[in-house]
Amino acid sequence: MNHVDPAFIKGLTIGLGAIGPAIGVGLVGSSVVGAVGRNPEIQGKILSTAFIMIGLVDAVFAFVLLILFTT
Amino acid sequence: MLPFFASSDAQPLAPQILFHLGPLPFTNSMLFGIIGAIFLLGLFGMVAKATQLWPKSRFAFSVETLVETILGLLLESFGDRKKAMRHFPLLFTLFVFILINNLSGLLPGVDSITLGVAGVSVSLFRSWTTDLNATIAMAVLSLGTVHYYAVRDIGVKGYIHHFFSGNLKNPMTYFIGLNELFGEILRLVTLSLRLFGVIYGGEALLSAIASLAGNFGWAATLPVMFLEIFVSLVQAYLFMMLTASYIVMSTTHGEESESHEAVAAGAGA
Repeated sequence: MNHVDPAFIKGLTIGLGAIGPAIGVGLVGSSVVGAVGRNPEIQGKILSTAFIMIGLVDAVFAFVLLILFTT
Repeated sequence: MLPFFASSDAQPLAPQILFHLGPLPFTNSMLFGIIGAIFLLGLFGMVAKATQLWPKSRFAFSVETLVETILGLLLESFGDRKKAMRHFPLLFTLFVFILINNLSGLLPGVDSITLGVAGVSVSLFRSWTTDLNATIAMAVLSLGTVHYYAVRDIGVKGYIHHFFSGNLKNPMTYFIGLNELFGEILRLVTLSLRLFGVIYGGEALLSAIASLAGNFGWAATLPVMFLEIFVSLVQAYLFMMLTASYIVMSTTHGEESESHEAVAAGAGA
């Protein structure tokens, strides 16, 4: 295979790059639901920590988008 | 087959130069950042004038509520009112400034009003946080504050001890210390690149979806627009909270409280 279509590579980048952050956000979400179910009185505290973690995980996908759109 | 993504439509990675102020190039993101800063100063000046014990102005009241909410969050994370009040002005300014600049990238006219500069069409406005120079500047400011207060609060000896803790005859201590120092540099990179990547990537995504959807770009970009609003809120909050937790971690003597460990563990991401 001498020539690879750039659109194919871009599709692979976005497809493979979405797997990790998706798993990460899923893990954060499931832990948040579990934690709120156990002690609902500190829901606000748990949610604010969860948003921080989601922001950290989302940044990975942002890097994928950044590489995708700038090359 | 899919056509090429709209990389030609999106903004170039580096901000474009509008004119030169002596030797200093003046870029479109600088222009919009200054406009944002003036807007914020005016807004908060107005609120400070209108605020009173029994608020009559509804807007001033909502801004006060925002200040109270952020102060509550920071009190929770510092655990000490005096310390929190000392760092509150910088952290709150970072939050509001980043938030305004993230959101202003979604306004109509930003990126789309162009100007011919030396034969090249340059957009007049560009959101401040889609410029890597800007986010690095903010990260340097916040990390400089962290180290300044670390040296001031625990002294130079304590500051060095923060990195090289443990038995000084053991070579492992130096290895760990060097890793810690490398982590400090990595903080700068991650703090700036995260904000830049998320906001710039989001705007590139918007323009790509608009061009993929053709005539229905106005409808296709609407859900992404809501995602962008959420993401810019989260990123502004994250920048503030990470700076706060760095301050907390480096101004305490070794022992870290449990509530910051989650943030500290994720800080290297």
